[in-house]
Amino acid sequence: MLNELPTETPAELLERDAADPHVPEQVSRGFWGEAWQRFRQRKLQMMSLAFVMFLGIVALTAPMIAGTKPIVCKYKGSIYFPAMGYYVRSWENPIFRKERFRNIYPKNLKKKDPESWAVWPLVYQDPYRRVRKNEWVDENGEGRPGNPSGTKGSPSSLNWFGTNQQGFDVFAQMVHGTQIALSVGFVSMGIAASIGIFIGALAGYLGGWIDILLSRLIEVVMCVPSLVLILALVAMLDNVTNWHLMAIVGCTSWTGIARLTRAEFLKLKQMEFITAARALGANRWRIMFRHVLRNALAPVLVPITFGIAAAILIESGLSYLGFGASPPNPSWGTLLKSGRTAIQQMWWLIVFPGTAIFLTVLAYNLIGEGLQEATDPRLRQDSH
Amino acid sequence: MTSYLLRRTAIGLLTLLLITFLIYGLIRAMPGTPLTGDMANLDPSKQLSEEALERRRVQYGLDKPWYQAYFVWLGNTLSGDLGKSIPQNDKPVATLIAERAPATLLLSVTSLILTYLLSIPLGLWSSTHSDSVAERTTSTLLYMLYSLPSFVAALYLQLLFYVKLDWLPLYGMHSDGYEQFTAAEYAWDLLKHSILPVICFTYGSLAYYSRFIRANMQEVVRQDFIRTAKAKGVPPGRVVWHHAFRNTLIPLVTLMGLTLPGLLSGAVILEQIFVWPGMGRLYFEAIGQRDYETIMGLTLMFSVLTLLGQLLADVLYAVVDPRVTYH
Repeated sequence: MLNELPTETPAELLERDAADPHVPEQVSRGFWGEAWQRFRQRKLQMMSLAFVMFLGIVALTAPMIAGTKPIVCKYKGSIYFPAMGYYVRSWENPIFRKERFRNIYPKNLKKKDPESWAVWPLVYQDPYRRVRKNEWVDENGEGRPGNPSGTKGSPSSLNWFGTNQQGFDVFAQMVHGTQIALSVGFVSMGIAASIGIFIGALAGYLGGWIDILLSRLIEVVMCVPSLVLILALVAMLDNVTNWHLMAIVGCTSWTGIARLTRAEFLKLKQMEFITAARALGANRWRIMFRHVLRNALAPVLVPITFGIAAAILIESGLSYLGFGASPPNPSWGTLLKSGRTAIQQMWWLIVFPGTAIFLTVLAYNLIGEGLQEATDPRLRQDSH
Repeated sequence: MTSYLLRRTAIGLLTLLLITFLIYGLIRAMPGTPLTGDMANLDPSKQLSEEALERRRVQYGLDKPWYQAYFVWLGNTLSGDLGKSIPQNDKPVATLIAERAPATLLLSVTSLILTYLLSIPLGLWSSTHSDSVAERTTSTLLYMLYSLPSFVAALYLQLLFYVKLDWLPLYGMHSDGYEQFTAAEYAWDLLKHSILPVICFTYGSLAYYSRFIRANMQEVVRQDFIRTAKAKGVPPGRVVWHHAFRNTLIPLVTLMGLTLPGLLSGAVILEQIFVWPGMGRLYFEAIGQRDYETIMGLTLMFSVLTLLGQLLADVLYAVVDPRVTYH
């Protein structure tokens, strides 16, 4: 894995040198450069990567895409950014609460300060409340109708993906739910990867009774039905937040990573470069995490990518079962749950969030597979 | 082999002990007890007095700390008694499991058979027709199916076949009044109810298995003995079936051992969506009701099956591959 062969055959190299005698001395690509080169050649995988990046942008800019608070506004001589309140409650300037805006910005801005101006999100809808009648008045002075509630909120020009039973806009909920889906995937797998790599590294490199103990631990956690573990931990909390869920999912899904890391370490610690590092007097932590881990990282990244997809699935599944974060929680799984109770009438509560979950999971799985093929030298000849 | 089996069994028993201890501590730490679960739903006049509640707590051993209660449970289990479910009116846990198992087995065994019947031809076909347009489309479709979460698929199928087409029932295992049905009507009714759950149970593993078979086949067909077989004029179908496929059976057999626990564990979310009275739902209900004995019974069963499955996979590995021996 260390000594990558150049992709060009010697004959090709000779040919090129003959054609152009002034070839500058080429710096050969490193392992990751090579892997990226191979990953790039696959269209579906690149599309998935682009899709995940797109989701990342949507998640980061969610309040600017759908919300009822201005991104920027000038009010009584000062500039404010009320949309920041969607990220953290306290980032919304308290002046708006003091002056009794009650989250209805368009009318109040005009009424309390005729000089004010504001830049609005692309879609005037809120993931946490129902937009009421005449909240938004367009240039012709006509008030916009409120969101329909009950089972009547089918997709329309105002509610692109419809509304749920309480009249909350589904599009706004899905845009804000992207934050949950992505952060659940990254944070919980970050936790799982840290635990898994640490335990796997210790077990694989140190061996002996530490290995026996840790392997037993891995096996025990593997055999415990993860749902009992998760549901029991969720039940112990009074007010479940998405951060709790991430921690719980992370602490229950590290076993696969640990096993793989252990196997890689067992294999790599026999290699000459480790002996060399030891001969140079490097201590074992340095060898484990600077020398061995670097070379074990590529195969370990693959289950992590698949794990992100699995974590997103677990979160939406838990939200579907009603064990997700406490409301208000615009998670995709919560939308599915409210769709299930009204499956006869409200198809839009199932189709849109379902597609979002499917595409996200698919994208991560494709990236994981692309990563596997790009970094595993044994699969090289298979790549099509 | 015998000493290997003995060692594995000993380690397995130790693991079981650890798992049950851990889970027992965990479920006892959940707020509420099996007695309080019912109380909230009862009307106040029927609620038990403090003394009566205390009597029942002593009767069921809930007054003891969990580590003591665990050893009581362990002792009972070792003597073959899985205990009684308190919220289910003291029904023995073993009976409860036996009642629910057929519903889950109906789904899982049907889906397992379907998976093997479909994925082997599909995997072989795609390995012999690799790089054709049809094969690539099928592979991509299968990969997409593999990534489609089963609960999303279940909801989509319900939308299509119940809401839109009205061909199949929404959920449940029987229609109302099925007690009066004749045998044929009963079977037809059961079939209609189980089509959607079986599809949801099957498609994911179908996609996984056929990809698995295809990947293994691609590795095998590069071997020298395949070239030899082709060179000496063996017909192509025979090369695929007798020479190549037989050599991919080893990983397939291992995979079979690992599906053992899945046969009985059911799928909590799917059974919840289809209101299917199986093990997954039992599990979910038991956790909601703090039904300690039932959770422990089910956990024990799943853990035993998981460990047995792993052991079976390793043993089968040695059986089908003469190069592998255990000491």
